[in-house]
Amino acid sequence: MISRPERFLRRVGAMAAKEVLHIQRDPRTLYMALGMPVIMLMLLGFGLSFDIERIPLLLADGDRSAASRELARSLLGSHELAAVDGSDASAAETALRRGQAMAALVIPAGFERELLAGRDSPVQLLVDGSDGNMARQIMGKVDAIVRAASQRRAGFAASPPLGVKVYTLWNPAGRSALFMVPGVAAYLLAIAAVLLTALTIAAEWERGSMEQLFASPVGRLEIVLGKLLPYLALGMLQLLLVITLGTTVFDVPIRGSLPVIFLAGLFFLAAMLGQGLFISVIARNQLVATQAGALSSLLPSLILSGMLVPIENMPRILQALTIVVPARYLVHALRTLMLKGGGLSVVALDLCAMLAFTVAILALATLRFKRRLA
Amino acid sequence: MNAIAVDSLTKIFGDFVAVDHVSFDVRKGEVFGFLGSNGAGKSTTIRILCGLLAPSRGTARVAGFDVGRAPEAVKSAIGYMSQKFSLYLDLPVQENLDFFGGAYGLSGRALASRAAEVVELCGLGDLGGRITGTLSGGVRQRLALACAILHRPRVLFLDEPTACVDPQARRLFWRVIRQLAGEGTTIFVTTHYLDEAEYCRRIGLMAAGRLIALDTPAALKRTYVPGRIYLARGRELGPAAAVLRGQPGVTAVEPFGAGLHLQVDPALWDKVRLAAALAAAGGREVSIEAGEPSLEDVFLAALGQAEKAA
Repeated sequence: MISRPERFLRRVGAMAAKEVLHIQRDPRTLYMALGMPVIMLMLLGFGLSFDIERIPLLLADGDRSAASRELARSLLGSHELAAVDGSDASAAETALRRGQAMAALVIPAGFERELLAGRDSPVQLLVDGSDGNMARQIMGKVDAIVRAASQRRAGFAASPPLGVKVYTLWNPAGRSALFMVPGVAAYLLAIAAVLLTALTIAAEWERGSMEQLFASPVGRLEIVLGKLLPYLALGMLQLLLVITLGTTVFDVPIRGSLPVIFLAGLFFLAAMLGQGLFISVIARNQLVATQAGALSSLLPSLILSGMLVPIENMPRILQALTIVVPARYLVHALRTLMLKGGGLSVVALDLCAMLAFTVAILALATLRFKRRLA
Repeated sequence: MNAIAVDSLTKIFGDFVAVDHVSFDVRKGEVFGFLGSNGAGKSTTIRILCGLLAPSRGTARVAGFDVGRAPEAVKSAIGYMSQKFSLYLDLPVQENLDFFGGAYGLSGRALASRAAEVVELCGLGDLGGRITGTLSGGVRQRLALACAILHRPRVLFLDEPTACVDPQARRLFWRVIRQLAGEGTTIFVTTHYLDEAEYCRRIGLMAAGRLIALDTPAALKRTYVPGRIYLARGRELGPAAAVLRGQPGVTAVEPFGAGLHLQVDPALWDKVRLAAALAAAGGREVSIEAGEPSLEDVFLAALGQAEKAA
């Protein structure tokens, strides 16, 4: 006679082994779990960039003096702005309207003369305000460069008595990829984990094999564990893939503890698998499970995780909603661990939150699972 | 000891009584047929007996275990084959066997040798590597059966196992069932096919949640189709039938193919007298032969009586 725990493990093993066979037979699952992240990471990492680069700037130099040329050089010296040919203020407006330039700097005739005379010599910056975000960034950039140039001219003595020196920590270059990659990791893990589990369990209902399993000595917990374990392993593989790509292709640093990064991933995956399980217990149908799985994983992890929009900028009600979005905690944990460094202590709160979600959703799903058994 | 003992079993869904005070026993090694139209409560009863549904009232013991109190013990002792053969169609035959064996706690060499045994018994030959989805309905059905008996269940529940399976495959399937019963497995089977019910040692007939008849096929025929059945052939029997109808000792006259299906009291009628009466009424070239009452006759008669009683 074999012992109870051994029987338990044997049944979980049988369920898990069968799940692995299903995955092997259906390469689409593997593609979804391992191919999609690569493609999405490339698309989102390269495509979803908020960095300003080579903004077309029209220079209308009405002065054509040494001073005006020097100003132009310093503007174009960084790679953020690129010159568009132009001559005067009237051409600037046309270029902006046609979209050939996003901004125009008009240097009036007599610019150098006024400067040499020691008087104020204003230049005019025209900015296309139809993209507010971009306009703000251009204004900030040009303002900073012009201010630096005028300071250089005036010499140290004229520097203002008060000044703020800004140092940006952890991502001084302000590269989008650095904070996008941790966000994308959460997004990808969420989609794959929720969708795959929701699908595999719904398929079992649809096929009628769930009834067959219920008529066997295999218990609910054994079904759930057997179903989730292979996908947990697949999810961890996915995380490894995303992190490897992030560090190699996008040069994302890992300043914190790598084991804690994977621990956070594990907690998040458990939460997402629970969510998938919950959906499939309710939906019992692959089509509905796909829709509900995609919606409930994609939107929150994209919009409510803080990946794209900072949570602090959201309306109060959405901020409250993010509390129950596990992706929020993973994004925070990954950004902290990868960019700032540290270990368990800095992300303990995130881990606890994800664990709480996992326990709650699994309890709900099991309760619901039981009722359907009747 | 009885393999199945059901006492006043009742299942209520909301205000619908799906199973209404059903009581019966099934002996060990018996092939027990459970008949009835759709919605009569057959599948609900089978699900209760398998521990999938809790009874609302009454008790049922399967293989000695109470289905309401110890459903898990029941599940280890039984095999269940549901209406849809719930196999994994994307997996090969052998992997289906391996999985269901594992689900019942078999592993290693014990599983391998038992799997080989049921493959042999169910006539699955060397199909082990075939993807289940590519097999015909009849083969899938035998594979589902093989998966259900891997763990040597004491009681085997088959819920309409022969739906959508061709007659030859059905015959093969029943050969396996009889062999299992011969080895001592109790078989509880629901079916739509009345010819299959003849294979059962005893039959229970369900209508509107109640068990309206229960006996061996022969006894049921004697009870519900009294008298003797004759088949009359000949020409111009139509008008002659009208004459025969209503005569004392004639219970039923039904057209049957080109002839007539006659149910009569053997004390008043025999072959010769029937032939004479039909000929006198205008029938030509009349020939009479003795017939057997079918379970269909029993089914209709029992349903009729139950409706009258209700």
